[in-house]
Amino acid sequence: MIEEIRAHVAEKLQELDGVIGLRRTAEGTAPCLFREGDDLSQLELDPRYPLASVVSLLQKRYPEARFGIAARGCDARALVEMAKREQVDPDRLYLLGVVCTAEEAEECHCTDPAPDPAPWPQAEVIGTPVEGAPPNPIVAAYEGTSLEERRMFWQGQFLKCIKCYGCRNVCPECFCEACALEDKVWVEPGVLVPPFPMFHLIRAMHMSGRCVACRQCELTCPAHIPLTVLYDLIRRDVEDLLGYVPGADITVSPPLSLTLEDAPLRMELE
Amino acid sequence: MSEPFEPRIVAFLCNWCSYAGADNAGIARIPSPANILPIRVMCSGRVSPEMILRAFRSGADGVLVLGCHIGECHYTSGNHRTAKRIPLLRNLLGYVGIHPDRLRLDWVSSAEAPKFAQVTQEFVEAVRTLGPIAEEVGV
Repeated sequence: MIEEIRAHVAEKLQELDGVIGLRRTAEGTAPCLFREGDDLSQLELDPRYPLASVVSLLQKRYPEARFGIAARGCDARALVEMAKREQVDPDRLYLLGVVCTAEEAEECHCTDPAPDPAPWPQAEVIGTPVEGAPPNPIVAAYEGTSLEERRMFWQGQFLKCIKCYGCRNVCPECFCEACALEDKVWVEPGVLVPPFPMFHLIRAMHMSGRCVACRQCELTCPAHIPLTVLYDLIRRDVEDLLGYVPGADITVSPPLSLTLEDAPLRMELE
Repeated sequence: MSEPFEPRIVAFLCNWCSYAGADNAGIARIPSPANILPIRVMCSGRVSPEMILRAFRSGADGVLVLGCHIGECHYTSGNHRTAKRIPLLRNLLGYVGIHPDRLRLDWVSSAEAPKFAQVTQEFVEAVRTLGPIAEEVGV
């Protein structure tokens, strides 16, 4: 599979200004913009990395350039949400979709492991799409837990937070220049464990209608806080209440910024 | 014998409707509970999740958000955003063990002084049965 992708990238580099992927060297693996003539044997797919943010960065830096990206399903979903918020220009992007394996999908509880080429003007998908893995069973079992249990669980988890901002920094959907988590009105500076329920709940609310379930926050977290359980619950609520699945359809606007006529709420108002 | 629990409620009131509704309740001598700490905002859509969470963190036992009825927003659709945001935040509070009923959204126009008194009374009683927030957020 990786050979097929490398060959494809080599071919595409003749018409593109560069392809964004991961590059493995003796020092380690990092995101890289591969140009024509570069050693493509260094192009890698592992580990998972939020390349969508790199696309945004480079497109803003080079407003005329046409780039390609070797994107997994989650990268593609992240790019969809970023395009809606004008962080990515789909017309200047070639999406080379990379299909995750069934094991990778399982690891991520990913229900949608194959990139969807449909939203993109230029896209191809390499590999045979696998079935989505079942969603995280904790989310389905959540109704059966008491408030007390939830409180004990999350307060214990959040107590581990060292406020490294890794969850925010790695998130492809966190691109605001002014971040509420850096505003001392909401998150007191110099206090190491952020006081419950600030920080994590602020971030969770800001993820509603945005989180594409790429799991990067949880993979990055040095304290191993299971953030995606919380975000999966929010994703479920946003789908149930507003009928919106982030990353699914590039033509649908985020519902929280629309009126009730344009994006109705599927519940009775008091 | 300790003091009986008196809930402290932070109420975000829209300048154009519920704040005037609260004012009119006072002018009309309709009693409303003294547990309410009113904060005037220009629109219920201005009430961000951060503001509500900070109220809880600061010891509010309940947070009330009152805005204009749908269709009557001074800014046309500010309250539409509130209508979507508050149910999501209520659920989220529940997911981490804070009772969702500590947050209530309602619509009170400037002409609805009796409704202001009724909503605040109901809410104070609801929060009274839930007990102090300190047990739920650990302050």
